[in-house]
Amino acid sequence: MKSAFAKRESRSGMIFTIPAALIMLGLVVYPMLYGFFISTQKSNLIDKWEFVGAKYYIQLLTDAEFFGTLKTTAIFAACVVIGNLFVGLLLAVLVNQKIPLMNIFKVILMLPWLFPEVVVALIWKWLFSPLFGMFNYVLFSLNLIEKEVDVLGQPGTAFVGVVFVCIWKGYPIVMLMMMAGMKNIPHERYEAAAIDGANKWQQFLNVTLPGLMPVLLVASILETAWWFKHFTIVWLMTGGGPAGATELISVDIYLQAFTNFNFGRAAAESVIILFLLMVVSFIYSRVLRDESQ
Amino acid sequence: MNLSKQKSRNQKDSAMAGTKTNTIVTRIATYSILIIMTFLIFVPIFWMISTSLKTEAVMFDTPIELIPSDPTLESYKNLWSAYPFLTYLRNSIFVVSAATFFSVSISTIAGYGISRFKFRGRSFYMSFLLATQLFPSIMLLIPYYKTFKTLNLLDSLYGLVIVYISFTIPFCTWMMRGYFNGISRDLDQAASIDGANRIRVFRSVILPLAWPGIAATAIYAFIAGWNEYLFALVFINTTERKTVSLGIGQLIGEYRVLWNELMAAAFFALVPMVIIFIFFNRYLVDGLAAGAVKE
Repeated sequence: MKSAFAKRESRSGMIFTIPAALIMLGLVVYPMLYGFFISTQKSNLIDKWEFVGAKYYIQLLTDAEFFGTLKTTAIFAACVVIGNLFVGLLLAVLVNQKIPLMNIFKVILMLPWLFPEVVVALIWKWLFSPLFGMFNYVLFSLNLIEKEVDVLGQPGTAFVGVVFVCIWKGYPIVMLMMMAGMKNIPHERYEAAAIDGANKWQQFLNVTLPGLMPVLLVASILETAWWFKHFTIVWLMTGGGPAGATELISVDIYLQAFTNFNFGRAAAESVIILFLLMVVSFIYSRVLRDESQ
Repeated sequence: MNLSKQKSRNQKDSAMAGTKTNTIVTRIATYSILIIMTFLIFVPIFWMISTSLKTEAVMFDTPIELIPSDPTLESYKNLWSAYPFLTYLRNSIFVVSAATFFSVSISTIAGYGISRFKFRGRSFYMSFLLATQLFPSIMLLIPYYKTFKTLNLLDSLYGLVIVYISFTIPFCTWMMRGYFNGISRDLDQAASIDGANRIRVFRSVILPLAWPGIAATAIYAFIAGWNEYLFALVFINTTERKTVSLGIGQLIGEYRVLWNELMAAAFFALVPMVIIFIFFNRYLVDGLAAGAVKE
C-alpha cells in the first residue's frame, strides 16, 4: 500500500513539475549544449561550420589579454559584491530596529532597485560629466578640486566610478534578502542573548550573523554570478574603456561576437566563465558552511 | 515595547545606566547613516529631474544651474513628438507582462510540485535551478541568436518574451517553492481526506493562500525583464519593436546627446516601476522571507 502511495506521489510531483522542466530543457539546457558546440566551431552561424576542436580554448588560455580581462572582471566583481553585502547588511540591520521612521527609510533605500540599469548608467554618466555635470560642480563649489575631473575618462577613476554606481544600484536586493532572512531568526534568541547581558553589537555577532549565514551564502553566490557577468551599466558608462580599464568579460564577449563576428571564441569565453563560476560557488559553499558550524 | 523592557531592566540593575547612553549613540549613528544614504539616493534623482526641466541651451551652459531658474516641460513634450517613446513603452509593457505572466504561472505550479511531492530527480532538479543562476546569460546569447535566426524570431517581441521567461523561471520557482514550504501541509491533507484530488487541493486551498508569494515573485520577474538590455540590444533592430531600456540606451551612442530629453525618458521609464512598487511593496519582504531566502 505504501508503494502505491509513493507511486501516486511521484506521479503527482511530476505532473506539477514537468511543464517547468520541459521549458528549462528547451530554453536553458539545449542552448547551453549548443553553446558548447559553437565553441568548437569556426563559424559565421549561417552556412560556414568548421570543426576546430579546442583551438579557441587553447588560444584563450595562452592569451595574456584574456587573463587581463578576467583579472579586471574578478576585481570588479569582488569590489561590487563586497560593497553590496556590506552596505546591504548594514542597512538591513539598521532599518530592522524598532525605532521611528524606519518604514519610510525601508522604502527610500529600495529605490535604486527600481531603476532600470540603463537609466542608472545614464544618470550617473551625465552626473560625472566634466563640464556640465553636478559632481564636478559641487566639488568645485566646495573648493575640493581646482580643475574639473573627468571621472570616466581616466582609467583609475573610471573603475572606481563604475564600481560605485554598481553598488548604488545593487545593494537593495541584498538588503531585501537580509531583511527577509532576519524575519526567520526566532525572537527568543535575542531575548536569551539580552538576558546573558549581550549588548547590541554582541547580539549582532552572536545571533544575527549566524542566523543569516544561509542567506549570506545564497546572496554571495548569486551576487558573484550576477556581477561577474555584468554588462549593461559598464557598457553604457565607459564601453570598457578608457584603455581597457573597465573591460569586463561580458563586454569582451559581446564585442567578440557582434563586432568581430568571432562567435566560436566568444562561445568558448562563456564556457570558461561558467566553469569559473561553478568553482567559485563550490568554494563559497564550503567556506561558509564550515564557518557556520 | 522597547521602553517597558528597558524600564524593568533599569529597575533590576541601576548599574545599567550606560545602556541608555549607548542607545542614544546607536540611534544617532543609525539616523546619520540613513540620512547620508538617502542623500546619495536622491542626488541622481534630483539631477535627473533638474536636467529634464532645462532647455538645451541652459543645460550646456556654465556655470551650471543646479535648480533651473526657468523650468520648462519642453523635453517631456519633445519626447513624445521626436521619439517613438510611446511605442517603446507599449513594447516593454507587452513583453515584460507576458513574460512575467507565463514565468510566474509555470513557476508557481512547479514550486508547489517540488515543495509537496517526493519524486525521482527532485533534488537534482533543485540544484539545477540554483545552478542556472550561475550560467552567464551571455553564454545563452549566441546559441539563442542562432536558433532565433533559424526560427525567424530575431527582431521579434515574441522572441524577447521567450528569452525573459527563460531568465526568470529558475529564480521564481525557487521563491515559490520556499513560499509553499511555509504553508502547512496539514491543509493539503485535510482537503485530501475530504476527497479532493491533488490538483483541486492546489487550486482551491493552497493557491488562495499563496498570493503574497506570487506577488513578490511577479515583482521580481517584472523588474528583471524591465531592466534587461543586452538581449534586446542584440536581437531587436527595428525601431517599432524596441523596448524602453533599449530605446533609451541607444540615444546615448549618438554624436550629440540631448541629456534633457534623455533624463525625461529616464523619468518615464521609472514610472511603471514605482507604481508597481507602491502597490506590492508590502508583499516584498514577507514573500521573500518565506521564499528565496529559506533553505
